[in-house]
Amino acid sequence: MSSAVERTADAAVRRARSTFEYLFVGRGRLQQFVVAVGLLAVLGLAGAAVFLPGSSAAALVDVLTDSSTLAATLRLSVPIAFAALGGIFAEKSGVINIGLEGLLIIAAFTGIYATDVTGSVWIGLLGGVLASTALAGLFAVVCIEFKADQIIAGLAVWLIALGLAPFAASVVYGGKTTDSVATLQTLPNMGIPVLSEFLVTPLPLVNTALVDIPFFGALFDANPTVYLMFLAVGLSWYTLRNTSFGKWVVASGENPKALDTAGVNVHRVRYAAVLLSGVLSGIGGAALALGIGQFTGSGPTMVNGKGFIAIVAYLFGNYNPIGAFLSTVLFAGLDATQLTLQARDVFQVPRPLVRTIPYVAVILVLALFGRTRLPSAAGDHYESGEGE
Amino acid sequence: MSASEKARSVFERIVTASGVERLLISLSALVLSILIGAVIILAAGRMADCGTAAYRLALPGSLITQFTGGSAVVSMGFCYDPIAVYDQLFLGALGDVVGNPTNSQFATTLAETTVLAFSGVAVAVAFRAGVFNIGAQGQLVVGALTTAVTLLFVAPVFGGLGVLGTIVVLPLGLLLGALGGGLYGALPGALKAYADANEVITTIMLNFVATAVALYLVNDASRFKDPESFANQTEVLPEFSRFPSLLFRARDDFSLVALGVAVLTLVGVWYLLTRTSFGYDLRTSGIQPEAAEYGGVDADRTIVSSMALSGALAGVGGAVYVLMVLGNFQTGIPSYGFDGITVSILAGNNPLGVGFAAFLFGVLKSGSIVVQVGSDVPPELVGVLRGLIILFVAMPEFFRMAGRRFDSLLPERDDQAAVATDGGVRNE
Repeated sequence: MSSAVERTADAAVRRARSTFEYLFVGRGRLQQFVVAVGLLAVLGLAGAAVFLPGSSAAALVDVLTDSSTLAATLRLSVPIAFAALGGIFAEKSGVINIGLEGLLIIAAFTGIYATDVTGSVWIGLLGGVLASTALAGLFAVVCIEFKADQIIAGLAVWLIALGLAPFAASVVYGGKTTDSVATLQTLPNMGIPVLSEFLVTPLPLVNTALVDIPFFGALFDANPTVYLMFLAVGLSWYTLRNTSFGKWVVASGENPKALDTAGVNVHRVRYAAVLLSGVLSGIGGAALALGIGQFTGSGPTMVNGKGFIAIVAYLFGNYNPIGAFLSTVLFAGLDATQLTLQARDVFQVPRPLVRTIPYVAVILVLALFGRTRLPSAAGDHYESGEGE
Repeated sequence: MSASEKARSVFERIVTASGVERLLISLSALVLSILIGAVIILAAGRMADCGTAAYRLALPGSLITQFTGGSAVVSMGFCYDPIAVYDQLFLGALGDVVGNPTNSQFATTLAETTVLAFSGVAVAVAFRAGVFNIGAQGQLVVGALTTAVTLLFVAPVFGGLGVLGTIVVLPLGLLLGALGGGLYGALPGALKAYADANEVITTIMLNFVATAVALYLVNDASRFKDPESFANQTEVLPEFSRFPSLLFRARDDFSLVALGVAVLTLVGVWYLLTRTSFGYDLRTSGIQPEAAEYGGVDADRTIVSSMALSGALAGVGGAVYVLMVLGNFQTGIPSYGFDGITVSILAGNNPLGVGFAAFLFGVLKSGSIVVQVGSDVPPELVGVLRGLIILFVAMPEFFRMAGRRFDSLLPERDDQAAVATDGGVRNE
């Protein structure tokens, strides 16, 4: 009995130590300071919420723990997470895809257009994926076949989409913003036999339905692309770690020559990885637009920098799909918080400034934790020795 | 000819060949973008709804059927006529330039050219230093805002001085723009130099921040909003503090003085880059960072100073936009910063080339207004062309391959031609 307690205590100590080491060891003075301040802020907020109800810190905690904040976080995570996963595959294979933003934009518009034409959100989603994959294919050809500078070609992809989507919207809908079409329904509203019923039926004993659980209820009340996102994160992690394709992708970015010597076509692996980034970003972009049922194309369009935030998310996550997903949740969470703050008007902070929170956070993260190690052949063109 | 002289002449030939090659690549990219743009116009013409087709592709075409009789076997109608669109886009922007060189459409073209020259050369300076400044847009906004807001308080002091007031206030306005934009450009430069933060991302994020902060500053009368206006804008600056409209009409919002400042700036930046030691350090850092550092160049300082210079140039562009076109600061500044990227890349990041590329883009921007009025084709077409041009300029290998293929078809090859199409040995 006592040995069991000891063992649990021991495990707890070990876990605490490894967490401490992860957070502080091997970091610069500034990073340690920021991590410490971050931890103190979290503790302070939680403490204030418990001991000082009515204070502004408590109000902030209230916003953070609002069910709508989690719902918005999940919704906003989808495009960033999918684009980040796509970016990981492309960059791991040695092609820096800075055009993720463009892929999201083109997928968002095509998703809406295809839904409008066919009447089905699922065909719309597929249309978005096809458009994004086609654009990624163009990017791949330009980079791999014609040895273009990857950064400039990526910027071109972004700018082409930034021009093409509002152009097409104006052609079809007479303005940069499209008509409203059907949206992706949340699970309880999808009318799936058994499952949809089950989610809204009060459970025995606790007498609340899964969707009505405070805060976490949002997890059961999301649209299918949110679950697809969880699935994609897991699958990407597994693919990169355990499959031969994943190993080729990593080798193609780290040591293309060795991969070539081993008899694997480096160009083909890079094509596959970049196309995969197109497929994934396509899901993300189409999901973003179909969640709302409309494409907004004025200014930076409705994508609004999410593709670039995705890049920071995977850099911060150190090219690990799970790490990238966690940093995505951080950025999307900040965005969701600012949305809730705007809606609730708790603090007298002017809206335009509140809106900059996610962008400023991205800059800070990049400045503090931006020193990631790129795959060593990333950005370089590879020419096979045999001459293809 | 001594060995060193020989080496030098070979080197010079490579440099000129690569210069010619750059020009050829830019021109080919332009032509290819226009062709693909035409395909996009046709495709868009199939997506749009219209009563009668504006353009018809037929096989065999009317050229043949008028002799043989009968009608085309295959015929397809399109809502938009690409040739008419390009006619409006390129020639419409010039207006009646031969008969009336100061016509208002041409004035718009030149005004766009002036601002684009600044944003283009801003991007070019950073590119030459090996830094991607995607934040020219934000720096331009900050520069415009700094000028518009500060002059609002400074200008009235010089109110009674007439022309003298202009001579004092106008350069001050440009300087303020340079200061605002320069500081806002130095920020991502410092983040890159001292914290390794990728400048592409930080500058894009700072674009969003600049737009939001500008909106905050001009959306409430307790800050800098014009209380009389419903729109988010500052009060209009007094007439004397703005660029005088020599020759052109005042309502066309163009000033030859501003264009002159732009030309002088381009020449000045060219001189700075090619004839001074600062420019030499900057360019070596861009081409060979390790070599530059080995040669005693402080890489971090060069990044910060080139980004500050780049931001300052974009900031002056913003100031010019305020002092020549708007007369105050308004939210929703057009995307001069992004167009500047295309202008710079099209010009091969050469400050003098920027002048020509800026004029070309000025034509496109001004022509898009003609297109909007004269046809149903949305003016966003220019945005599509912008991206396509960058994409094609980014893939010189495509044109080299095409050039080699074309070259091999010619019956006789002489070495000189081969150098011109291959561009000699140029390592990127």
